[in-house]
Amino acid sequence: MRALAPDDAGFIERDGVPVYWERFGDGDPTVLFLPTWSIVHSRCWKAQVPYFARHFRVLVFDGRGNGRSGRPADNDAYAEAEFAADALAVMDATDTERAVLVSWSRGAQRALLLAADHAERVLGAAFIGPAVPLAPVVPERARAFERFTEPQESYEGWGKWNAHYWRDDYRGFLEFFFAHVYCEPHSTKQIEDAIGWGLETDPDTLVAVTLGPWLGGRDETLDLCDRIACPVLVVHGEDDVVRPPEIGRALAEATGGRYVPLPGCGHGPQCRKPVLVNVLLREFVERAGRSPPVGAGLASQAQEGEIT
Amino acid sequence: MKRPRVLYISSPIGLGHAQRDVAIARELRRLVPGVQIDWLAQDPVTRVLEGEGERIHPMSRHLASESGHMESESAEHDLHCFQAWRRMDEILVANYMVFRDVVHAERYDLWVGDEAWEIDYYLHEHPFEKRAHYAWLTDFVGWLPMEEGGAHEAFLTADYNAEMVEHIAAHPEVRDCALFVGDPDDIVPDRLGPDLPLIRNWTERNFGFVGYVTGFDPDEFRDRERLRAELGYGVAEKVCIVTVGGSGVGDDLLRKVIAAFPDAKRRVPDLRMIVVAGPRIDPASLPAADGLEVRPYVHNLYRHLAACDLAVVQGGLTTAMELTANERPFLYFPLAHHFEQNLHVHHRLERYGAGRRMDFEETEPSDVAAAIADEIGREVDYRPVETDGARRAAGRLAEMLL
Repeated sequence: MRALAPDDAGFIERDGVPVYWERFGDGDPTVLFLPTWSIVHSRCWKAQVPYFARHFRVLVFDGRGNGRSGRPADNDAYAEAEFAADALAVMDATDTERAVLVSWSRGAQRALLLAADHAERVLGAAFIGPAVPLAPVVPERARAFERFTEPQESYEGWGKWNAHYWRDDYRGFLEFFFAHVYCEPHSTKQIEDAIGWGLETDPDTLVAVTLGPWLGGRDETLDLCDRIACPVLVVHGEDDVVRPPEIGRALAEATGGRYVPLPGCGHGPQCRKPVLVNVLLREFVERAGRSPPVGAGLASQAQEGEIT
Repeated sequence: MKRPRVLYISSPIGLGHAQRDVAIARELRRLVPGVQIDWLAQDPVTRVLEGEGERIHPMSRHLASESGHMESESAEHDLHCFQAWRRMDEILVANYMVFRDVVHAERYDLWVGDEAWEIDYYLHEHPFEKRAHYAWLTDFVGWLPMEEGGAHEAFLTADYNAEMVEHIAAHPEVRDCALFVGDPDDIVPDRLGPDLPLIRNWTERNFGFVGYVTGFDPDEFRDRERLRAELGYGVAEKVCIVTVGGSGVGDDLLRKVIAAFPDAKRRVPDLRMIVVAGPRIDPASLPAADGLEVRPYVHNLYRHLAACDLAVVQGGLTTAMELTANERPFLYFPLAHHFEQNLHVHHRLERYGAGRRMDFEETEPSDVAAAIADEIGREVDYRPVETDGARRAAGRLAEMLL
């Protein structure tokens, strides 16, 4: 049974793709927990939602490609800009002017787009184990990225990161991947949950998601970081083998944000060490909620006709 | 000197913890005059606490329902309690965060967690969260696999037990006091896992033993005739009480026993059967039968159990031990796939020589009727249950307040 049922839920639709959202609580500010890579859906925030709903107002949505959201076949439908636009549409549909963003892993990319290009709607951005191209992943994984669509003779280790292997043994890939996400001992439940969420989509969809245009690269990412003025928090597991902590450190540096290393943690600390992450996030949300939103003054003056 | 303050967290899975915790709280007030005890508790525990006039912390209303979860996980007289507990993870973390807010807003000198899994787990995960004395109570140690769960369940239970062992070894400072409700002989002979210690050895090293906590003194009920008169039970009546405790997982047992009632009444003409639906089952949802009494929740049910000639119960520890302490014959039906009822509780009842174990799946209503006729009013010879458990437990808690 879920710990907390949503107070409101619905769908937005963009270009024929339905996106399912939920709202919990009525406090202030709103915390928008963004979707990550569509291998999982919004239940990956289950350890956060009840706590933050009690203190603030919470929005979550299933990223396109999983959960109750649509599964378009076209790779381009999974561009980072599409996820960012879904987030704005969910905010509009729920009368949410501004929100603190919390992202995990690949969700960092859409969070950067939102915080840089829609600063007036973002009070702060917290990143958990961000997946952005600011530091390399392990070489074995980088090699697999390059050969993602090419059939291989065998699929061992990170070699399982391959479209053909996914179509052949999707569950095998999920088991491999989530054992690395939750690399801490005694993570059986987190691994089981995530495999279950992964099985709610299918390998073809996940391939399309994965081939969807990511952020351009280091330069584009640094440019986005330069344009972010809201408060930033980056937390990163020091034992993260999926996205090494150097990435989180680099993101904090590039955004001028606070960096909190999490000793003994892997790639999913909000699931595996939820109390620790909740405490850090709560403090951040309270601080960000008190800060005037970047550009809000200009926006409101413009609305009042003082700036033309 | 400031008035000492205790925050008591009592597991809401069933009613048993509430009964014993109220008894311990009563003793603690005797030992530490002026102590203020607040309860962070939810239904059905709150019903017992309200009946006793205890103070329920207002933040309790934010707790996510553990009993509701367990009911949602149950099937016909079947609760895979280890897996159901694992799947309760998001409720446990939500409730830990409620607890955390409470103890960050208010000073307490002592936190007591009676099988308050979330408190114990996250305090060990994050020892820096501790800001008061902390006592842990339990009546069983060790997740055990059910045979039908196969190798995977054996792996999982061992993994959870290993984490517990590591937690206690790495952070002995978290539990200022760990109390086992029972004696070393109550502990099953199993290991915590293939490469882990024997449960008994490990528990003896890491727990204090306070004996069983009944929540009442059986001497109160030695004059059974007077008690029966007080409760309205006639001398010639053969009173059979049917109860499934407080969790709401037990509807099917009640129905099976109700179906057995006409046959049982033919076999035992003086039979008076009283079905107690409990706080989470609507009595109106149960079938009716001529001469059968169905009651909703009964406060101080243990007094009725002390007065009866036979009880028919699930395999929960508290009710079975209340019957044992009062030397009443009883039939018990452990929930299928419920390791605690099938293994831990069964082991303890064997030690006391108490109760007749029945299998729900294999028992027809006619078998229930026959067993009722065999057992009702039978003289029993159980191992006596200690009566000072609450006082001993309270004594250990008081040491941290005085």
